[in-house]
Amino acid sequence: MDELLQEFISETQETLEALAGEVVAWEADPSDRDRLDAIFRFFHTVKGSCGFLNLPRFERLSHAAEDVLSDIRAGKRSPDPATVNAVLGIMDRIGELAEAVAVGAALPNENDDFLISALTEPSGDVIVAPLAEETAPVAMSRQSAQTGPRTIRLPLSLIDQLMNGVSDMVLARNELSRKLRERSADPELDNVFERLSTCVADMRDVISKTRMQRVDRLFAAIPRMVRDLGRELGKRIDLTLEGGDVEMDREMVEMVVDPLTHIVRNSIDHGIEMPEKRRALGKPEAGRLRVEARQSGNQIVIAISDDGAGIDTNRLVEKAVAAGRFTPEGAARMTEQEKLDLVFHAGLSTAAKVTAISGRGVGMDVVRANVERIGGVIALDNHPGQGLCITLRVPLTLTIIPGLIVRAGGQHFAIPRAAVVEILHDNNDTLHIADVGGAKIATIRSVRHSMIDLEDVLGMEKPAQTGPRAIMVVRSASGVPFAMGVSAVDNHEELVIRPASPLVMASGVYAGMTLPDNGRPMLLLDAAGLANAADLPNIVDDRAAQRRDEEADAASNVEMIAALRFEELSGERRLLKLSLIERVEDIETPLFGRSAGRAFVRLDGRLIPVANGISTFDGDRVSALRLRDGTREVCYPVAAVLDIVQMPVMPDMVAMHGIISGVSVIEGEHLEVVNPFALFAALPEETVIEKARGRCLLADSQDGWTREILAPLLRQAGHDVVLGLPADGVVDPQDVVLSLGEDVAQAAEMMGCRVVQLRATPRSSGPQDASIYRYDQDRLMAALSGMKG
Amino acid sequence: MDHLYLFATLAGTRIAVDTREVEAVVKLAEISPVPGMGAHVAGLSALRSRVLTIIDAAALIHGKPLPPESRSLAIIADISGHSYGLMVDSVSDICRVNDGELPLRGQLDPAWAPYARGIVEYEGQPCLLVSLATFIEGGIIAQAA
Repeated sequence: MDELLQEFISETQETLEALAGEVVAWEADPSDRDRLDAIFRFFHTVKGSCGFLNLPRFERLSHAAEDVLSDIRAGKRSPDPATVNAVLGIMDRIGELAEAVAVGAALPNENDDFLISALTEPSGDVIVAPLAEETAPVAMSRQSAQTGPRTIRLPLSLIDQLMNGVSDMVLARNELSRKLRERSADPELDNVFERLSTCVADMRDVISKTRMQRVDRLFAAIPRMVRDLGRELGKRIDLTLEGGDVEMDREMVEMVVDPLTHIVRNSIDHGIEMPEKRRALGKPEAGRLRVEARQSGNQIVIAISDDGAGIDTNRLVEKAVAAGRFTPEGAARMTEQEKLDLVFHAGLSTAAKVTAISGRGVGMDVVRANVERIGGVIALDNHPGQGLCITLRVPLTLTIIPGLIVRAGGQHFAIPRAAVVEILHDNNDTLHIADVGGAKIATIRSVRHSMIDLEDVLGMEKPAQTGPRAIMVVRSASGVPFAMGVSAVDNHEELVIRPASPLVMASGVYAGMTLPDNGRPMLLLDAAGLANAADLPNIVDDRAAQRRDEEADAASNVEMIAALRFEELSGERRLLKLSLIERVEDIETPLFGRSAGRAFVRLDGRLIPVANGISTFDGDRVSALRLRDGTREVCYPVAAVLDIVQMPVMPDMVAMHGIISGVSVIEGEHLEVVNPFALFAALPEETVIEKARGRCLLADSQDGWTREILAPLLRQAGHDVVLGLPADGVVDPQDVVLSLGEDVAQAAEMMGCRVVQLRATPRSSGPQDASIYRYDQDRLMAALSGMKG
Repeated sequence: MDHLYLFATLAGTRIAVDTREVEAVVKLAEISPVPGMGAHVAGLSALRSRVLTIIDAAALIHGKPLPPESRSLAIIADISGHSYGLMVDSVSDICRVNDGELPLRGQLDPAWAPYARGIVEYEGQPCLLVSLATFIEGGIIAQAA
């Protein structure tokens, strides 16, 4: 194809994609001149270019649209819905034509006259848009993308070539560094090498960025789709898009488009109710739909939430029972979450009737399969009658996935972590392996799984081994979990996955390969493929039976407690027993300070020690956990609070070290468990006083020293200070009276509370003198704490 | 017909390969086996940051895999976006052949039939002209069978 033509087509297609959102935004706010101009410019460019490219149909269409838009610009027409529809229609047709030209197919044969007449036909009543009106806040508040940075187009293969080149460079550098170490040290050479190293590292970072793309591209089609669907169904939708500047791998973007589109469609079709119904329910007429993307660690989280009807789980169950999937008794035993999971079963839909948009029951199962295929997770947060929030968590790139390294038959294999439900050793009490007629059955906590040994499936020798074998419960995207025996599970790593050659993929049991640092290629196992290869029956162990058995076994099960998963400021992820945490709050960093080598934070007028001894932070706020052991309080600043998980009471691996009591595996992630005993034991002793309860009554409220020196000191130490004896004479037995004069002390003693008598002289007047020198801080504090016990 | 040909010995037979198909000839380092595959896939091997799928053509032709001690040389080729290494017994030369490709004569061993395209003469000896891509395709067919 002519190069010029090709350029025109790809440019047109790109602009169309970007404009789809703009048109909708423009419709929402017709007075937005920038957007109108952008659309006008598009048609103008198309018209101009196709003049000399000899594309008459393009020219005619764009010319007609340009005319109408120029009328609107001149204020002769208003952008009413009919006009916008017609403009969108023309844009679609231009898109179709461009597509046809791009692939070299025959141009679609529809008649353009209809479209053009729809555009030029005067709409019923012309209302001039109130231009004077201030730009109202509209739902679609995205910055117009006209002032983007300059870009060029590159073929993907060139970027891949660059990537490979850089990878080779890194390997060559590593080898060079090894060689250099073998030689005698030469500072000059080292220096140069150091510089080279930095350059290579920088280069690698930059190159890997070329694969990244803004999520904006993923969002570009949504406004248009929401508008069209809303119009079609007679629903009003208020759309908010957030986080378009988050970046993710371009391949990932492609993979997420379909699931996301489906979810948005579902939400509009089934989630958000008709305006009348919404009004009757006391909700705003316009349904709220919010699509939000953010980066969380090495994952991209895309949340799609609406304030519609949510999922009617009872209907789902009814359907499932009607479809013969469950007995009514079995369904009655299901938890709400299990009922909700039915949404993902093929062929079930809550829609009362099948509509053109969705509700054919081919949907969420495919969505889940697609999301899981790329190593993602989909979660539902259902509030019947209030709305639904669907969260997609997908890895940042397609090529890097968290994986487990397993050993079998003397060789290493990788398996995606997402596919592994749990890992047990075959000497575990909760596991029982039986062999019947050649079939192996693993019974784990009374749930029966088909079991295979990886060596058998792959036709390898099973080498003799001394330790216990590891049994992993593996769940593929679609199939039923099964147990797989391997020699050992060695490691947990982020793996850079690359496709294996078709020859290897044809075996069906591998999903790709990876090249670890040791330079020995490793194969990535495909869980579903393994189940297929082993011809495992696809039958779930009866869920109802599982529930009954689980209840019976509950006592013998590992006791689980709720724990908070958080990220330390140093980056490690750790667990802490939830019951210890009083609350989590964001604390302003200037409140943190350091005194006598210990970090503290000033909260609610008291000084609270900081558990990990950190007192300087980046940023002006830091998340902190407030912990309490009953009396003592401690603040634990963290980088991020992640979520609440169930952890075993005893860590999977006990390893007392510092404030860590061991390591637990939660969802395949190794997490250190913080030992609360060590945490509180490590606190400075003085805090005992700070935590003491009861007031300090300062009898000599008129005395300058008491007011200006003693009271601040006591307050700083965390005491509740009252100046003067209470007028009504009511004192708590826990209160302490501090006084300088003897008479007051005697009176206070009669009132039934303890007294600390202070004296002005360093020397005591005699052995009977129990008073404390007023500048003897240690004794004073000890006396206070001792009295309060 | 003035192409460069690579001359090698494969499964005891002299072969010629059009150099346009050949990327390099390398000494193989370690090969990690791919269990669950036929003998014709010897395994994976790393060449710098690339991973090669190593084809044991001898296993395809004679059904007997190459003994591990003679797994040393491989012809590297890029076939439809993936890198393959075809193990050969030895490599003798790369040179131009004046006569170019000659038609096959005589009765060819059926085992060779899928891979041989013609004859190329080198130092007065006929060599089978083979196409590397056919070994990969042959491998996939062998798996399907």
